Amino acid sequence: MIGCYDFCGHYEWTFGWLERAGGHAQVRDYWNEAINHDSQRHARDLIRGEGIPGMLKYWGHTLLEESPDLGFHISHRADVFRIDFHDCPSRGFLLRNGIHHYRDYCDHCMGWTGPMLCEAGYVIDHEHNHRGQCWWEMRPAGAPGGHAAPGSVAGDKDVRLRPDWPRDPAQLDRYEKANDPDEKLP
Amino acid sequence: MNPSAGPLPYTDTKPQGSADFYYAINATFRYILTKLGREAWAAYLQEMGRGYFAPVNTAWRTGGLPAVARYWRAFFAAEPGAVVAVTEQPDRVEIHVHECPALKHLRAGGREIVREYCRHCHILGTARAAAAGLEMRLRGGNGSCCHTYALPSAALPPQEPAAIAEVTP
Repeated sequence: MIGCYDFCGHYEWTFGWLERAGGHAQVRDYWNEAINHDSQRHARDLIRGEGIPGMLKYWGHTLLEESPDLGFHISHRADVFRIDFHDCPSRGFLLRNGIHHYRDYCDHCMGWTGPMLCEAGYVIDHEHNHRGQCWWEMRPAGAPGGHAAPGSVAGDKDVRLRPDWPRDPAQLDRYEKANDPDEKLP
Repeated sequence: MNPSAGPLPYTDTKPQGSADFYYAINATFRYILTKLGREAWAAYLQEMGRGYFAPVNTAWRTGGLPAVARYWRAFFAAEPGAVVAVTEQPDRVEIHVHECPALKHLRAGGREIVREYCRHCHILGTARAAAAGLEMRLRGGNGSCCHTYALPSAALPPQEPAAIAEVTP
């Protein structure tokens, strides 16, 4: 039986299998069809119906279940929903256990939340460092470009204020008002 | 990989997994079955059994049936909602799944379950058993079943495809 205790491990393995089976397009299609439109349809329904309050309901519940030791912080206002991951439960599982079958596991988050939020009318600012730290800001589509200044939404919980957060943008995968996992900033 | 001292190859910071991940497992099966077909789905499970589960297969090969029993006890202890009894005999280990945690959660969540769901345990289990020098059989399904992992000397009868139930709504 495939279990849920090590879900992140075989989920990551599955990305590699799908890429071998059908290339990058197959992996993108899987994130959108299987995860956004099927597995996570409860998230999709909440966010399409309620916007930022729906994001709070969805991520507030699912992150507490996945990361009960609170390796994350949620901030929200009427115009923005933000998550800071200081210890991503998903990426952390892979790092702790030395699992690596796909070139960039972190892409899966933008792979399914990007299309989901696009359908709900939101765009994403995001950076991840591949080490279990990242941040996300979701704003209504049409919001002006550029990343908000560190600390301006999450205060001292902003992951960019960590001493180990890379100062060199080349060490980060970065997105600006994006919905597509391949829309990384150069 | 980073093998732990315990019977499970990978460890987490919490004692049990998040049951909502069963939604993603079911959705992954539906995606591969729909987009790539049944043969590809079987290949996916076989390759996962030989590849992703290689650390477990190695532990089974070196540790024999006691290692198989330890693994399944630890595995189901980490699956929320599982009601399972593992019994050991000299030539086999039987895993009596009284309440499948995956089907229970998928049904509670109102999800449409792929009818082939139970067959994944047989395809995956057979690949893993073969890599460990064992044989695997499955009977039942649709919420309760019995998995058997046995030495070749147990001379289990061939797997009856009809012995594996399809999932019904």
